[in-house]
Amino acid sequence: MTGRAILFAATLAFAAVAPAPVSASGDATRGARIFQMCVSCHTVDPAEAGKRLPGPALVGVFGRAAGALASFPDYSDHMISAGRRGLVWDAPTIDAYVGDPISVIPGTTMNFFGIADAKDRADLIAYLRRANGIDK
Amino acid sequence: MRRFRSLTLALAFAALGASSAAAGVEIQEFQLPSGAAPHDVAPDPAGGVVWYTAQRQGALGKLDPKTGKVEHIPLGARSAPHGVIVGPDGAPWITDSGLNAIVRVDPMTNEVKTWPLPEVVGYANLNTAAFDKTGVLWFTGQAGVYGRLDPKTGQLDAYQAPKGRGPYGIAATPDGIVYYASLAGSHIARIDSTSAAVKVIEPPTQDQGARRVWSDSKGRIWVSEWNSGQVSVFDPAREAWKAWKLPGERPRTYAVYVDEKDIVWLSDFGANAMVRFDSASEKFDVFPSPRRGANVRQILGRDGEVWAPESGTDRLLVFRTTPD
Repeated sequence: MTGRAILFAATLAFAAVAPAPVSASGDATRGARIFQMCVSCHTVDPAEAGKRLPGPALVGVFGRAAGALASFPDYSDHMISAGRRGLVWDAPTIDAYVGDPISVIPGTTMNFFGIADAKDRADLIAYLRRANGIDK
Repeated sequence: MRRFRSLTLALAFAALGASSAAAGVEIQEFQLPSGAAPHDVAPDPAGGVVWYTAQRQGALGKLDPKTGKVEHIPLGARSAPHGVIVGPDGAPWITDSGLNAIVRVDPMTNEVKTWPLPEVVGYANLNTAAFDKTGVLWFTGQAGVYGRLDPKTGQLDAYQAPKGRGPYGIAATPDGIVYYASLAGSHIARIDSTSAAVKVIEPPTQDQGARRVWSDSKGRIWVSEWNSGQVSVFDPAREAWKAWKLPGERPRTYAVYVDEKDIVWLSDFGANAMVRFDSASEKFDVFPSPRRGANVRQILGRDGEVWAPESGTDRLLVFRTTPD
């Protein structure tokens, strides 16, 4: 396939969306931008839930045990063990893991240094909640 | 911390299996400041200094391998440098995912110059860069972006990748033809440096997770396949592919580099190891790290040296290869 180079134009073909209110739990619109750090490996699009990506789909991640998405074949043993020991993804556990993945799950194969800024993490979680239909 | 350790680690890096006993490689390691987490490394082809990105510290690292002296050059607030290469001007050029900008550091004065992406592009999550034969820098952004910067004019253009998010590693052939890999898109792509048009090239292994690319001396493109745990090669002259699974139970191929003898070097997160592949004999040599979670995310070399940053252990490694 030959793709025609498309110069970015003022049409904002990229992820520009209408401003959303900043809630106490984070700014989901800003979080959408931060999620671009994750998109090579993860999706929040239900239509892509079956797509083979390096990381598990984050569709339905809230309330799911770590390492428990049956359709994802590449969890590390460490992630599966963490789930069996009771790690369930919610805002606090996602916040901790995204902040410092290797400290929370030593041996994780998620190739990500983490997000040091607490507000960035809060915004990312707000976006994940919105993308999962938890918040509007 | 400026501690310097220079160790020949022939034993510590005892290669797996008898085949690697004759590896003919001497490994030296350099301890970096705590928390440097070196992501990418770029030895100056002219010799001497070795640059690396200290992604979590927003700095460019500068190592003098002769003395072990390390210097960190801050790149600015919110900097998170991902890739670094040495340009034809001898300067380190950085793809900074935190600044959403291309950054050049003057190798003599440490002056930092920044070319932000146009606002309309949004956050690209910049990844890696390569120079073509005309001296134009091409770059990738994981959010689905590729682009170019002409250092002579400062003109920066960004384009939407034809299959969306995923553009990751990028490299140029000896003839200056630029290819990139798309991790999320599981393909490689060739850029026409005149028109900026992209031709997507699909590897035969479905959903293989092409992560990085590098060219050998003949312009063949070697691909590290994360999902499949393979290394593959695309021959543009024949439009033909060949692939090999890395050794071990569950390989995850992250980085690829081809040295001046056309020996292929890879990193495998599954085995926590560096891997050498001789395509003539189709033989792998595995060099496990003695430390957990070495996480080598990129490899780059110069004559007789292959450099690997252990992002998980704050070390740079150099594999010194034996001359023929």
